[in-house]
Amino acid sequence: MSGIQFKNVSKLYQQGENQVLALDDISLTVEQGEFIAVIGPSGSGKSTFLAIAGALLQTSKGEVILNGKNLNELKPKNLVRLRLEEIGFILQTSNLVPYLNVLEQLLVVKKMAGKLAKVDKGYAKELLQSLGLAAKLEKLPEQLSGGERQRTAIARAFMNNPSIILADEPTASLDSKRAHEVVQLIANEAKTRNKAAIMVTHDERMLEYCDKVYRMEDGRLKHDDSFNRENGNTLLEDKQLQEN
Amino acid sequence: MFLAIRELKHGKLRFLMIGVITVMIAWLVFMLSGLGNGLSTLSAATIKNMDATYVTFEDGSRASMSRSLLSESLAEKLENQPNVSAATVMGATMGTILNNSDSGTNEKVDIAILGTTPGSFLEPNVIDGKPLQANESLEVIANDTLKKKGFKIGDTLKIEGSLEKMKIVGFVNNETYNHLPAIFTTLDKWRSIQFAAPGSDKGIEKPVNAIMLQGKNIDSEKLNQLFKNTETVTKSAAVQGMPGYKEENGTIMMMLAFLLAISAFVLGVFFYVLTLQKSNQFGILKALGASNRFLGRAIVSQVFLLSFVSITAGVLLTYGTALILPDEMPFSLDLKLVVLYALLLLVISILSSLVSVRKITKIDPLQAIGRME
Repeated sequence: MSGIQFKNVSKLYQQGENQVLALDDISLTVEQGEFIAVIGPSGSGKSTFLAIAGALLQTSKGEVILNGKNLNELKPKNLVRLRLEEIGFILQTSNLVPYLNVLEQLLVVKKMAGKLAKVDKGYAKELLQSLGLAAKLEKLPEQLSGGERQRTAIARAFMNNPSIILADEPTASLDSKRAHEVVQLIANEAKTRNKAAIMVTHDERMLEYCDKVYRMEDGRLKHDDSFNRENGNTLLEDKQLQEN
Repeated sequence: MFLAIRELKHGKLRFLMIGVITVMIAWLVFMLSGLGNGLSTLSAATIKNMDATYVTFEDGSRASMSRSLLSESLAEKLENQPNVSAATVMGATMGTILNNSDSGTNEKVDIAILGTTPGSFLEPNVIDGKPLQANESLEVIANDTLKKKGFKIGDTLKIEGSLEKMKIVGFVNNETYNHLPAIFTTLDKWRSIQFAAPGSDKGIEKPVNAIMLQGKNIDSEKLNQLFKNTETVTKSAAVQGMPGYKEENGTIMMMLAFLLAISAFVLGVFFYVLTLQKSNQFGILKALGASNRFLGRAIVSQVFLLSFVSITAGVLLTYGTALILPDEMPFSLDLKLVVLYALLLLVISILSSLVSVRKITKIDPLQAIGRME
């Protein structure tokens, strides 16, 4: 099956003599076209979760199935390939390469895979256009605003047509207007391009764009029903109702 | 190349600084090699130029003409040995000459007087005038650097401390011996200058300093056994035996070796620091799916480009400097050596960048996530 599946995943860290259980028996399925959020306080295991989903970290127990492939069974070299082909990362503070212009930020992803075809350039331009960056193709990151940088990072994540999008605090360095824009764009792109998308955030303003919200606490993942779209309200309203 | 070129363009100042260092190092390497080459030419061009494979000296002379004295009659016996196709004798002495013609200057000039058989393979071809004649012992051919001192064909020369006179009939090119311009003369003439004092020939009949042999695969060990009191060595050993040759060459080579070693470390450290600075960036690229190979190639191709341009600039600067150096300076660039050192520098800078490549392979892409618990 496509999308990503966590099956009873645990992660143990050895810290001196103590063992820290960063992830405790997590099971989760994210289908294609689904956009979910993982929220929780710092230290709850969100980053570990994201690193495992992104094939940057091995599980201690359990399996992660990404687009039909069991990550535990892949060699390091193939994991690199898998990150390139199947995973689109959107990192906090965008993390663009400082000396590449907006278009090249996308093309370098294709370069990593080998040759750069003419089609790729067209696809990159189309992506950037859909994210409202058509006029900024030749600009370097230092010449862009925070929102534009983050949008470039989003485009970069979609460049290799991955099956899953992982966003790590994509709104961390943005004001709320830009933050809304950016998350909306991720949601839109994930829907229209039919990707499974996971956003790790502590910014609860952004949850209205997500299909499901999971709360992470002390390594345990719980589906949070309080943000449920199906009751007719937007998530934002849900939250306000709850607070009252 | 994709990342390499773009980064070079973006970080101009940073890369310019490394580039300038590389240019200076390359420049110094080429200047030193030119100086070394010039000195060794000055010291032993005549020996290097001669079309011989082995040289026979007196035993105990340690391959130096000035310490060796043999009889000319030995040449005939050597010529009859297996693999020896020809043997010719040579004598060398140092002297000071004065232009005796009316037109010349009265400046004294130090020279090397080399006696050999006219028409033999040891007599260099003249570029001007006519060659030596066996029966004309007054006539000599001289290195063309003497032209700059005001000597011409037809000039007669007085030799200091001797009653002998000589007359220049031809000029040869690039013939220097023991750092001095060479004058070729007949053996008789050379003997009358060298052994003017009674007894200085140690009673040897028809004395010479060395016998040059032609022929491949000569068994020098056998010759040493066969002819007591002789020592046959290869031509390159004879070159090494020139006074001061080993010392001069050794000094230059030591400087070159240190310079190359220093350049390896300086460049290596520079590239390493640049890589460390960018380790976060490399971590992100790795998280995005860049392989070590991709990033390693970016670094190596960048170092290659930078070094190639810098070394080329160093070569151009060296040839430019050669143009303005004074003529007396023993400086001569050998294209083969320049290419060799250029390649060596290129290889060294690329090897020094491999430390950075190793660093890249150790960067953990997890650091892109930035805040691992």
